[in-house]
Amino acid sequence: MDKQQEFVLRTIEERGVKFIRLWFTDVAGSLKSVAVAPAEIEGAFAEGIGFDGSSIEGLARNSEADMLAIPDPATFQILPWRGTVDPAARMFCDIATPDGQPAAADPRNVLRRTLAKAASMGFSFYVHPEIEFYLLKSSSVDASGEPVPVDNAGYFDNVPGGTAHDFRRRAVTMLEQLGISVEFSHHEGGPGQNEIDLRYADALTMADNIMTFRTVIKEVAIEQGVYATFMPKPFTNHPGSGMHTHFSLFEGDKNAFFDPAAKYHLSNTARQFMAGILRHAPEITLVTNQYVNSYKRLWGGGEAPSYVSWGHNNRSALVRVPLHKPEKSQSTRIEYRAMDSAANPYLAYSLLLAAGLKGIENEYQLEDETEQDVWTLSYQERRAMGIEALPQSLDHAIKKLEGSELAAEVLGESVFNFVLANKRNEWADYRAQVTPYEIDQNLKTL
Amino acid sequence: MVIGRVTSLSDIVRLGFESLSVARENLGELEKLLGSSYQRCESAFETSASPDRALTQLLELSRNHPKLIHKALAGSSGPRRLIAILGASDGLAEYLTRHPSELSLFSQTQSLPSTFTLNCESRLDLRVSYRSMLLAIADWDLAQSNPSDGVVVVTQALSRLADAALDAGLTVARSELLADGRISQEKSENTKLSIIAMGKTGADELNYVSDVDVIYVAAGPDEYAIPTATQLAQRLGLVINEAAVEPGLWEVDPNLRPEGKNGALVRTVAAHAAHYKKWAEPWEFQALLKARFAAGDQGLGEQYLLEVKSQIWGDRERSNLVQHARQMRKRVIEQIPSEEKELNIKLGRGGLRDVEFTVQLLQLVHGVVDETLRDSGTFPAIDALAEAGLLGRDDALELQSQYRLLRVIEHRLQLVKLRRAHLVPTDSSDLRRIARGVNPRHSADDLREIWANSRQEIAGLHDTIFFRPLLAATAALSPGEISLTASETESRLVSLGFTDPKGAMRHLKALSLGMSRGATIQRSLLPVLLRWMAEGMNPDGALLSFRRLSELLGDKHWFLKMLRDSSGAAERLMQALSNSVYISRLLEYTPESTAWFADESKLRPTDRSALEAEVRSFLARNLGFEKAAEGLKFIRRREVLRIAIGSTLGNLKVRQVAMALSEVTEIYLGSMLVIAGRKSDINLDVCIVAMGRLGGQEIGFGSDADVMLVYRDDGPNAQSMAELLTGEFIGLVKDPILEFELDLDLRPEGKNGPRIKSLNAYEGYYQKWAETWELQALLRARPMFGSQDLRDAFTNLIDSYRYPEELSDKQLVSVRVVKARVENERLPKGIDANRHLKLGPGAISDVEWLIQLMQLRYAGSNPELRSLTTLDTLASLVKLGHIDDADSHVLEDAWILASRVRSAQVLALDKASDELPIDRKKLEAIARILEFEPGSATELEERYLAVTRRSRAVFQKLFLE
Repeated sequence: MDKQQEFVLRTIEERGVKFIRLWFTDVAGSLKSVAVAPAEIEGAFAEGIGFDGSSIEGLARNSEADMLAIPDPATFQILPWRGTVDPAARMFCDIATPDGQPAAADPRNVLRRTLAKAASMGFSFYVHPEIEFYLLKSSSVDASGEPVPVDNAGYFDNVPGGTAHDFRRRAVTMLEQLGISVEFSHHEGGPGQNEIDLRYADALTMADNIMTFRTVIKEVAIEQGVYATFMPKPFTNHPGSGMHTHFSLFEGDKNAFFDPAAKYHLSNTARQFMAGILRHAPEITLVTNQYVNSYKRLWGGGEAPSYVSWGHNNRSALVRVPLHKPEKSQSTRIEYRAMDSAANPYLAYSLLLAAGLKGIENEYQLEDETEQDVWTLSYQERRAMGIEALPQSLDHAIKKLEGSELAAEVLGESVFNFVLANKRNEWADYRAQVTPYEIDQNLKTL
Repeated sequence: MVIGRVTSLSDIVRLGFESLSVARENLGELEKLLGSSYQRCESAFETSASPDRALTQLLELSRNHPKLIHKALAGSSGPRRLIAILGASDGLAEYLTRHPSELSLFSQTQSLPSTFTLNCESRLDLRVSYRSMLLAIADWDLAQSNPSDGVVVVTQALSRLADAALDAGLTVARSELLADGRISQEKSENTKLSIIAMGKTGADELNYVSDVDVIYVAAGPDEYAIPTATQLAQRLGLVINEAAVEPGLWEVDPNLRPEGKNGALVRTVAAHAAHYKKWAEPWEFQALLKARFAAGDQGLGEQYLLEVKSQIWGDRERSNLVQHARQMRKRVIEQIPSEEKELNIKLGRGGLRDVEFTVQLLQLVHGVVDETLRDSGTFPAIDALAEAGLLGRDDALELQSQYRLLRVIEHRLQLVKLRRAHLVPTDSSDLRRIARGVNPRHSADDLREIWANSRQEIAGLHDTIFFRPLLAATAALSPGEISLTASETESRLVSLGFTDPKGAMRHLKALSLGMSRGATIQRSLLPVLLRWMAEGMNPDGALLSFRRLSELLGDKHWFLKMLRDSSGAAERLMQALSNSVYISRLLEYTPESTAWFADESKLRPTDRSALEAEVRSFLARNLGFEKAAEGLKFIRRREVLRIAIGSTLGNLKVRQVAMALSEVTEIYLGSMLVIAGRKSDINLDVCIVAMGRLGGQEIGFGSDADVMLVYRDDGPNAQSMAELLTGEFIGLVKDPILEFELDLDLRPEGKNGPRIKSLNAYEGYYQKWAETWELQALLRARPMFGSQDLRDAFTNLIDSYRYPEELSDKQLVSVRVVKARVENERLPKGIDANRHLKLGPGAISDVEWLIQLMQLRYAGSNPELRSLTTLDTLASLVKLGHIDDADSHVLEDAWILASRVRSAQVLALDKASDELPIDRKKLEAIARILEFEPGSATELEERYLAVTRRSRAVFQKLFLE
């Protein structure tokens, strides 16, 4: 028993923790939780907690049911939302096969592998997400079939005494209690839409943080009698909820994206990394934007980044190079704008990182930047400029992923197969619907 | 010319000079310069490592600093000492040139310095005072008549000196930073920094020039302690090694710190401890064995050691420890460029690292329970292991002496240029200098020989030391051997990968007990045999099989001789027993086959004609049906075993294995048909037609034999007689020991049709009834036994069906539909289709159907496509442009890998299955047979899934094209 584990056991005892939630993430990106009694924790550290992997989406192959969840004592936190009467705590787990090898289908392990590859090239990978979500009165819809937001404010609006304001204050406090630093939070463009930016961290920590973040937001909403959703596009007429993410690579203490002499201070490494992301973006969109609904956001107009292009401060570009103060070399970074808040962060970050690294490895050339708003260009203009589009639908994204060697290699064959099978099912189910749109458009005329 | 006592060139040779006339000239000049001191110098050259270099240097110094030289040479030991230094070290000679006042050393009494205080006025002063001490150490070292005896104290002194340099360096770094205004007085005073020595320095076993491994620990106010300490640590590196007039000393290497190059340079004690609790890899713990306080704040250093060192011996997983460690060692060796492998005294095989590795391994295995074994240095650890009874006295002495010798060679290498050096020179003159440095009487060739012997000794010692004591627990002890307790033996066996140590001890006992010749030989061999078993998948099984073989073969002379004299054979045998259940089992039926391991020519498949001759003469002996059939089965088992061993040991190519297995099967079937004829007393012209993989001569281990039977119709009762004969035949070929599955399902009407038909019946059937897929199956039909006449007739018959001039659209669609239906219906329910080696997407059947469909379409007009072999046909399809190169590689990879996995599964587990196993151990076992690195279960799985995914994509593209 090492000291960290002892610390956990002691805290459980001292704080009178009644049960511990063991957290891990399935391939679809849902947080899974097994609650165990304090008495079982000691055994869990030593041998892991056995569970039936076949009941978890994508985790185990057929009949390879036995899996082990091994809690990571470093992630031990008392959960702030359960009050002090019966305190509960959580730890993230790594998933292992019965012979103790990391499970191929554990998304955390996929990200670990990809980060190890980056490390072998001398890089560490930092990310900083801006997570958008909607606050609704409840999960039910109104008479017209639309969700009901908690307010009607807009971008950066301060709503005095408003739900959203209290909500953000409470959520930020809770996140800080769980050791997650918040950079920034504000009201977003849509009614009831909010954005919270997390302070940058290495990608693995951040993926854990995002999983925690979603839970915290849901919990605070319950506390305050409202409903929070990370659905990519809940309203036809309001902006969707994205998760723009800023990326940078560091070599030791040095920002590998920074070059004082280059345009926008973007080093050659940064340009190649960006070229990698742009070239492979269409084939990995199924993972960064994994639901039928995701494509309603991507193609819903406004500022949605539907086309493969990059620009400096161009808000229609897929990859944006943000402004930063000239003396702050550490903050040179790029922002990927397609991903949405419902993605599995472990897998999405793995693929984006791998795409970028491939650009570096194979010395991809970065195309010229796009200075105009891509949406205002005509189809012919875009064709002439060689601007490709992201997939238009889930189906289209499936086709793109199917042919992706990059994705198969990064995700591993079993996760790759599972993602495809799972999404093919979703598309089949979706296509089988007769939608209100069709009733409305066709019933009366045909 | 007479110089001193030297009168001729041969005198100069005797003094050890290589360039004679140059030496003569120089000696002459030296005599003039030195006058009366000269005589005492002359004989000193004889014992110097390089008389030529020493002379040149001494001459140079005498020209420029006559007074100082004169003084240095005045004492009785001065000349010998100075000339020893100048001959051994160009680096120190240059130092004396830069700082001639240092020559005063040679007029003082010689002693090995034990306390070191260096000048910390400035970095240059520090370096000069460091080298002054280094010179004193080298002076003492080179004066030892047997330098091996002194090597331990020399390494200690060098380590102390490095500590002193770090300590002084820290002082210099602080004053430099304060002077530059980089840190404030307050920050400097409140920031504690402690330097922990790791690696050789940590072990107190430093050599002359080597990176000094350190870890930095800091304490102080949160706001600035870490940044301040980091500045100090960075500056320290520069103080010690940044280029300047007085060259740098050595690299201060902080890369053993948590997270290596990417980790923070300086951490607090708590941060260090947290790393080891959470993240540290096994090798990091191994590295911690050597951590000790070196310089800076002592209290802080002690606190660090207390917190961190306790974790080395935490209750981590220790089974297979040895294998992991050995894999790592192997990787290190692989990374050495091949031309350096023989020359690298540190990392090469049988080098310093091998000794250290053996010792550390024993420490890790036994140090958990025995605290006396946790000493950090290699020298004391060897003594402690001997003291604890874990290492025999003789072995310990041998290990000590080999290690000391290597260290002396290493020191001499480094002294030459005062550089890090680990490559033994190839140039004879350079090598001579090293050899004479070790012992003035040695020549370059002597050193070559000593070094080669030492390499061999050390490599052998590893086995003796780790494995032999395992027997001592069970066998009679010879004097000087050590005895492990039962639990020590068990923990060693478990660390080797045995899962049932008690069982293993029983087998060892049975093998080694007694006074027979066999037991005696076994006792001496088992240590190394155990190592080879442990390198495989299943050491427990291997040991049991080996025990059984030993019992079956008893004291057979050749068996013991093979184990004793042919290490290659014994190693191959242990590998096979540990990795292949199939081979282990078959060997028990034909134990004499064990002899093949000693003779690689026996592991090549028996030549077809030789095999046929053996069978013919066997049949001619008229032994009676039962005996004859038994004999044929024996031959088949023997030959299959031969091929199995050949393919497991990696000597045979996939294609050779397939061909050989097919031939054995053919001969087996043919001869059994003869016996069936005799037994039933039916004389019919029967032809066996090989189908499927047997037809293409591409079967693997555990493959079914697909055949059809046809006879020449000549009489009214022929069909019933033929069926009778077939019944006999089917009964005869069965073999419970090496299973044989005769599959007749490809015949007309499949399972419902008669098992044998006449040629006419075949003709009638194909003309009227046959479905397109049945014609497709004929693509690999090969009449292989029966009269030439009948075989030709059958071939003629089927050629017109299997190579149609044109495949109709209807037929084309029918093949495609049947393929889809097979996929749908024949895949067993409940298994993951992607793992089915035959019918899964992209697996064997996809590749074969695709190729066969193309054959049906194009072979009518292209005779070169009429091949029975899958890969040959594929190659012809590429040539004809039906499949492009890239696609063909994808298909070939998938077909070969799936085929190999099926065969490997049988070899490893003795079980035929069409599924890629899910069980991790089984996957690993298959991976081993396929020559993956140990620990590759997931890699094999991922590779298989990737290869078949790609081949499925090609299939999808081309099959419907």
